[in-house]
Amino acid sequence: MNYQNALENRMTTRDLVFASLFAAIIVALGLVPPITLGFIPVPITAQSLGVMLAGVVLGARRGTIAVLIVVLLVAIGFPVLSGGRGGLAVFAGPTAGFFIGWIFGAFTTGYLSERLVTASQSGLAQGVGFFVAAFIGGIGVIYLFGITYLAFVGGIGFSKAFLGSLAFIPGDILKTVIAALAGRAVMAGYPLLPQRA
Amino acid sequence: MRTLYVEADTILHRLPPRAKLLALAAASIALFLTRSLPWLGIAVLIGVGLYFSLGLPMREALARLRPIFLTIVVVCLFNLLFNSPADAAVVLLRLTTLMLLAATVTATTSIADFIDEITVLVGPLERIGFLKAADVGLAVGLVIRFVPEILARYAAIREAHTARGLPVRPLTLIAPLIILTLRDADSIAAAIDARGFRRQ
Repeated sequence: MNYQNALENRMTTRDLVFASLFAAIIVALGLVPPITLGFIPVPITAQSLGVMLAGVVLGARRGTIAVLIVVLLVAIGFPVLSGGRGGLAVFAGPTAGFFIGWIFGAFTTGYLSERLVTASQSGLAQGVGFFVAAFIGGIGVIYLFGITYLAFVGGIGFSKAFLGSLAFIPGDILKTVIAALAGRAVMAGYPLLPQRA
Repeated sequence: MRTLYVEADTILHRLPPRAKLLALAAASIALFLTRSLPWLGIAVLIGVGLYFSLGLPMREALARLRPIFLTIVVVCLFNLLFNSPADAAVVLLRLTTLMLLAATVTATTSIADFIDEITVLVGPLERIGFLKAADVGLAVGLVIRFVPEILARYAAIREAHTARGLPVRPLTLIAPLIILTLRDADSIAAAIDARGFRRQ
């Protein structure tokens, strides 16, 4: 890698602080009591919503770093996942693939957000763009990792792993909608998303 | 913030962190290479022996493992239903052993030791100029510092809803939480640079 390139890719202090603050938001979302949605009786844990939000608000690079910081905190022994889970044991469970998938989910959500959404679009177009980005990144990519890992490590095969995961899809689609609307609100109030479209 | 490290002085605590992590990696590969029930049975006994020799109170020791063990049990039931009892037993013993060994490494390795290891791992990224090795510790410190603040802000936004007779909805809660939190980023970054933590 040449020097100029390295300088462009260098992480500034500002990037590091944004990523760390967002990691702190994701951690906090695992500590607050689950939010119950008015029309659905099931409470949703907001931590995977935080992963989508990281991509939608911060973009691919900083969003990925934010999630990497959370993964790092878990790995080194902070019980920062919802329900007080943490430590290397998290990586030993059959659902660890979903957790690892967060990193790539945040990246994909951020990558697509940067290309689909601009500040000059109408509110509806922004919302749809963020929804598509969060859906592909936050559900598609995360489930791809989670189901693949579950199929192999759990020894139950793809179709069973897929069927077992379906139960969580409705809640996750709801989170995607919230991520899209929150993404729009943050873009209007405090725009941070790098523009590449 | 609480961590999962257990203050004690066992042989496992004194082993170098890198040796423990390499041993854990080797053990996880070995566990996935065998399907022999006697070997896996011995492995799980070793795991139980190590984990419960750390001096954690029994309640706490079990509470730490419960959520992960539950997912292992669910996957075992799937195996029992759709595959064979032998498959279910292999998965149960294999993943339980891995969980116990991983939890043992976590309980016997301090945060500082882990961060030292990670600093070595990100060495190549520092050489290409992407980040500073000290960034890892800095990021961890920032998160620990700001989580309580974000929780307080979350409670304040909830109260603001209640005071105005509004229902607390995720959307009206999360957008202000993000904006209020990230708005501080510039002054925090300036404070870090002013102290020369990252020397750039």
